[in-house]
Amino acid sequence: MPDKKEDIRIGVFLCHCGSNIAGYLNMEELEEFSKKLPHVTFVQRNLYSCSEGGINEIKKGIKEQNLNRVVVASCTPRTHEPLFRSSCGEAGLNPYLFEMVNIRDQCSWVHMQEKEDGTTKAKDLIRMGVAKAALLEPQEPIMSEVQIRALVIGGGIAGMTATLAFANRGYEVVLVEKEEALGGMLNHLSKLGPTMTDASALAEEKVRAVTGHSKITVFTKAKVTLVQGFIGKYKVDIETESGNKNIDIGVIVVATGGRAFVPEGLYGYDGKRVITQLELEVLLKNGLASAIKNVVMIQCVGSRNEERPYCSRICCQTAVKNAMLIREQNPDAKVSILYRDMQMYGVENEEMFRDSKVKRVRYINYDPANPPEVEPDNVRVYHALLGRDMDLAADLVVLSTPIVAQDDANVVSQLLRVPIDENGFFMEGHVKLKPLDFATSGIFLCGSARFPANIREAVAQGLGAASRASIPLAKGSVVVEPIISVLANEDACRGCGLCVALCPYGALEIQNTEKGRKVHVIDVACKGCGVCAATCYQHALSINSFTDKQIEAQVEAFLN
Amino acid sequence: MCTGRVDPVIVAEAFKKGLDGLLVVGCHFGECNYVSGNFQAKAKLDMTRRLIKHVGVNEERLSFQQCSSGEGALFAEIVGKFSKTIRELGPIGGDGDRVKAPEIFKKLEAAEAVLAGEKIRWVIGKRTPFIESGNMYGEVFTEHEFNRAIDMIIVEEIEVQEILGKLKEGAQSVKDLAKALSIPSERVFRNITALKRKGMIKLEKVSGRTPIFQLVPQEV
Ligand SMILES: Cc1cc2nc3c(=O)[nH]c(=O)nc-3n(C[C@H](O)[C@H](O)[C@H](O)COP(=O)(O)OP(=O)(O)OC[C@H]3O[C@@H](n4cnc5c(N)ncnc54)[C@H](O)[C@@H]3O)c2cc1C
Repeated sequence: MPDKKEDIRIGVFLCHCGSNIAGYLNMEELEEFSKKLPHVTFVQRNLYSCSEGGINEIKKGIKEQNLNRVVVASCTPRTHEPLFRSSCGEAGLNPYLFEMVNIRDQCSWVHMQEKEDGTTKAKDLIRMGVAKAALLEPQEPIMSEVQIRALVIGGGIAGMTATLAFANRGYEVVLVEKEEALGGMLNHLSKLGPTMTDASALAEEKVRAVTGHSKITVFTKAKVTLVQGFIGKYKVDIETESGNKNIDIGVIVVATGGRAFVPEGLYGYDGKRVITQLELEVLLKNGLASAIKNVVMIQCVGSRNEERPYCSRICCQTAVKNAMLIREQNPDAKVSILYRDMQMYGVENEEMFRDSKVKRVRYINYDPANPPEVEPDNVRVYHALLGRDMDLAADLVVLSTPIVAQDDANVVSQLLRVPIDENGFFMEGHVKLKPLDFATSGIFLCGSARFPANIREAVAQGLGAASRASIPLAKGSVVVEPIISVLANEDACRGCGLCVALCPYGALEIQNTEKGRKVHVIDVACKGCGVCAATCYQHALSINSFTDKQIEAQVEAFLN
Repeated sequence: MCTGRVDPVIVAEAFKKGLDGLLVVGCHFGECNYVSGNFQAKAKLDMTRRLIKHVGVNEERLSFQQCSSGEGALFAEIVGKFSKTIRELGPIGGDGDRVKAPEIFKKLEAAEAVLAGEKIRWVIGKRTPFIESGNMYGEVFTEHEFNRAIDMIIVEEIEVQEILGKLKEGAQSVKDLAKALSIPSERVFRNITALKRKGMIKLEKVSGRTPIFQLVPQEV
C-alpha cells in the first residue's frame, strides 16, 4: 500500500481500441500530452489495452516502473473497469488505485468528424482522470453472506425452466405466478413451431416437474409486494392466497413475459371474423370450423410503426406455423399472408417457410403507406408486382400483433429498482456482455420479459439466467464494491439524521456511541450514490473514490 | 455515483474558478438508477440556480436535464442546446451576466460559503417532508411557498457571507458595511447582532460614538 508521503507515480495507458479511438483522435499528441501531466511517470499506447497483451503491459508497468496509480484511457468503465481493476490487483496494486478515462464512447465515437476538437477533449478528460488518480486511496472489498434461496417471478416457460434449473442444482426456489395456473402464454397456444410440439403437453410436463419438486415452493395467484435489501440478503414480501409471506432470498430472476397486443380499432378487429393470432391458436386447439375456407393474415399489425417501432420477431414464425396448421385441418382452405418483410431467422424457421410455400401458402407483400383494407367478404391489397389492387376472399382475417410489455412491468421495475426500456420491456445490464443480468447485482432476467422471444430462446435464457444467478448461491458469499459512503469525520457528525431520511437504500442509521449520536453506514447496503455526502451540512460523510477533494481536483484540472 | 452526489458547493466553486456552464443530466424520475437520487439532485440544483441568479450569474449557466441511456438522440439535443446557450452567453462575468468579472467571483465566493452552510443544506434536505407533511409546527408548504422561503434564506445568507467577507479585509462600522455592500443598514445591524451572538464577530473598539466590528478567527 503506497503511503501518502511516498511519491505518486502514475502510469497512463492509452488504448487505440483498434481504430475505434486511434482512427479519430491523435494518439501521438495524447501521448506527448500525458507525459507532461503532474505525477505521470510512464505513458504507453496499446492497440487493445483489454487484450492479454495490453493487460500484461499494465502489469509490467506496475512492476517495472514502480507505478502506484494506473490510469487507462479507453472505452467505458461500465464494461471494462472490473477487468482493469482486477489486473492491477494481480500485479500487486490495490485495485482502487486505478482510474478509468472514457475517451471512446464519450469522445472518439461522438467526434468522429472532428479530430482536432476530439483530441482536445480527450486531453481534458485525461488531465481530469490523472488529477483524480493522484488523490485515490486504496480500498478493501466488503464481503457479505448469501441466503441460499432463489426467487423467480413469473411462471411461464422461461420462469419454470429457470426454477427447475435452480432446484436441480439443489437450491431452494420460490416461484411466484400472478395467474391461477403456471404456464404463461403456452396455456393459450395449440402447436409450437417449428417442431409442431403440442403446447399443452409441454406446459403440463413442466408444471408437473415444478410442482413435484421438493426444493420448489410455488405461489400462484400471488404477487411480490415489497423487496428490501441487496444481493444475498433480500427480504421479499409476497401476497398469496394463504396470506402474506416474508421470505429471505439470495437472488432474483424476472421472467414475467409479455402479452399479445389487442388491435382495438385496427382492420375492423372484432374478435369474431377479424381475430388475432392468439385467438386463432385457441380455434386451432379446439379444431377449426370446416366452413372456414379462405383465410387472410396481415402481419405487423400495431408494430413497426411510430408508436411501437420494434419488430416483435416471433409473429412471422407464428403466422407461417398457423397457416400450415390451417391447411392441415382444412386441406382445401386458401391461406394468404400479407407481409411487409418476412422475419424467419433460424435454420428451422427458414425451412418451415420454404415448406409452407410448397404447401401453397400464398405470400403477398404490402406497403405500410398503402395498407390492406378489410371489407365484409374480402381483403383488398395493392399488389406491387401486378401494379393493381387485388381482392382476396376472407371468411377469417387473422391479425399478427406484437408481444408487448406486461401492464405492470413498471411496478415490478420499481419494486426491484431495475430499468425498463421505452417499450416497457426490462433492460439488461449490457446487450452483449451481460444479456441475462440486470445492472444491479443479484437480479437476472429471461424470456419475453426482455424482448419477444420464442420458446427455444425463452428456455435457453431461463437456463442461462439460473446459471448466472447460481454463481453467488454456489459461492455462498459476495464481494461488494467498497465505493460507498463513509463517516470520514466522526467528530463533525452531530447525529442529526438528515442523511438517514434521504438514503434511498436504508443504508444509514443513527447509533449511540461514546462520542454521542453518530451516523453509521451499513456498508453492504450502501450503493455509493452520494446523496448523503452532498447533503450533510457538517461535511462529515464522504464517498470512497468520489471524495469532495477528488471531484474538486477534477474540476480544477478541467478549468486549467 | 449519482447526480444526487453533485454538491452545490462544488458547483459554486467551479463557477468561481471560471466555469462558464454546467449541465447535469440525470435519469428520468421513477427510473433513477439510485432510486431517488435524481430528486435530490433536482432540489439542490434548482436552489443553486436561484442562488447564483441572486448573486448576478445568469442562471442559464446551470442546467439540470433528464435523459435515459436509451435516448441518444435526446441527449445529443440537450447537449447541443446547452452548448449553444453557453456560447451565446460568452465567458462568465461578461455580457451574459448581471454582475461582471471580477466582482462576480467575489459574489460566488459568498455563494459557495452559503451553500456549504448549515441553514440552506438543512432546508433543502428537508424539502420533501416540508412539502409533503409540513415542518415541526405542522405547516405544510406548497412548492411555491417553499421557493419563496428559500429565496428569503438566500438573500439573508448571502448578506451574512458578504459581511463576513468584507470584515476579512479589516474591522468596519455598520454604516460603512452598509455602504460598501449596498445593504440597508438596519439589515446589516440585524445580521451583525446575530453574528455576534454566534461568536463569529466581536466589537473591536468604539470610534467616537460608532462601534467598529471585527472578525473572530474560527477554527476549521
Ligand atoms: C400467438 C402466439 C403464438 C406463438 N407461437 C409460438 C410457437 O409456435 N413457437 C414458439 O417457440 N413460440 C411461440 N410463441 C412465443 C411464446 O409464447 C413465448 O416464447 C413464451 O411464452 C415466452 O415465455 P415466457 O416465460 O418468457 O413468458 P410468458 O409465457 O408470457 O409467461 C410469463 C408469466 O409470468 C407471469 N407474470 C407476469 N407478470 C407477473 C408478475 N408481476 N408477478 C407474477 N407473475 C407474473 C404471467 O402471468 C405468465 O404466466 C407464440 C406467442 C404468441 C403470442
